[in-house]
Amino acid sequence: MLPTVTVDDQKCADPLSCRKCLLICPTHVLGLGTDVPIKKFRETDPEHFIVRGVRVDKCTGCLDCVKVCPQNAIQVSFSGGGAR
Amino acid sequence: MCEWCEKYGDGYERWYFNPANYARRLYKIRKEEAEALGAEADPQAAGGMAFVGHDFLEARERGDVATVEQIKQQVEGISWITHFGQVLTLEEALKIVDIMYPIGLMTCACRRSMQGLPDEENFTCMGMGTGMYKWERWPDTYRGGVHFLTPDESKEVLAKLNKRGLVHTVFTFGTPYLAGLCNCDYPDCSAIRTVVDLGIRVLWKGHYVAKIDPELCNGCASCVHRCQFRALSFSPSKNKAIIDQFQCFGCGLCATECDQDAITLVERANLPALANVW
Ligand code: SF4
Ligand code: SF4
Ligand code: SF4
Ligand code: SF4
Repeated sequence: MLPTVTVDDQKCADPLSCRKCLLICPTHVLGLGTDVPIKKFRETDPEHFIVRGVRVDKCTGCLDCVKVCPQNAIQVSFSGGGAR
Repeated sequence: MCEWCEKYGDGYERWYFNPANYARRLYKIRKEEAEALGAEADPQAAGGMAFVGHDFLEARERGDVATVEQIKQQVEGISWITHFGQVLTLEEALKIVDIMYPIGLMTCACRRSMQGLPDEENFTCMGMGTGMYKWERWPDTYRGGVHFLTPDESKEVLAKLNKRGLVHTVFTFGTPYLAGLCNCDYPDCSAIRTVVDLGIRVLWKGHYVAKIDPELCNGCASCVHRCQFRALSFSPSKNKAIIDQFQCFGCGLCATECDQDAITLVERANLPALANVW
């Protein structure tokens, strides 16, 4: 069963400097992307970086990312398949 | 034979030794093709450096083989036109820096995406060719800036990164235009991870296959951690390293670590069962 990893981008304002969840995930599920396309002549601002569950097939449900997040921004749920 | 050598080799031993594949005129073609393909053609805009999305992972999870195969073919098709790589040995990478100019050391977009790696720790990528002169137009692609290198400096950097255990790869930006000389590892490199975990060939195996001489191997195991492709393991009962040659990408990192010279690289083309395993 694939989990749903949700990140509240409002709470996670500058993931490029925080990056705690990226580093703690034992199976490297999470990744950084941007919510805007790259533009000519300007660097993407920090607030446009977002954390996403890129490889959710590797998520074990350990919740280490949830616990480490200082902003309480991440939720991981294994719904749909009952208790696991 | 390697499809890319066949199509773009033009008499050279490898397609990436053919200077025409670095030529300025291709840089223009790449731009037009990339524009025609839209955002898909821009690996960075895809977000999270993922070659595939959740639809692929979901299809795989529910065992929907047809959909998995269909997405795989679609992703490979786009990647082979726009942006894909092939594994090189250190010697091959060193040879490329003599063909190609200019070369700029830049930060790795994959490691930024997977670890949020700060720019100052992240200079592992080499950009080549005309595009590098225009790097200031794309500050986000070149976060942290670019250090232009002489061929000798490039060779020093490559040797250092090899020592560190990184796999040299060459990447197209609008095939066959070659503009990336990357230094990759699992799991941060999006291409290695996509091909190793998901079997989607956005990174092709190299022209060699590694082979261990059991007479020379003394079982020191110092090569084992070098393999980024799950091809190399250690057999306690033999007390020797062993290589799964069907899984070997031919990077040669194991060989450069072995002080017994027990590992050699043999030509993929000379092994009938592997000649077409890319
Ligand atoms: S729950 Fe565990 S495995 Fe899943 S994303 Fe978070 S840290 Fe990674
Ligand atoms: S730990 Fe929380 S705040 Fe930090 S990058 Fe991850 S999601 Fe954002
Ligand atoms: S480094 Fe060489 S001698 Fe040591 S285990 Fe590997 S192949 Fe054998
Ligand atoms: S076995 Fe050696 S040459 Fe083959 S992929 Fe692994 S490290 Fe590279």
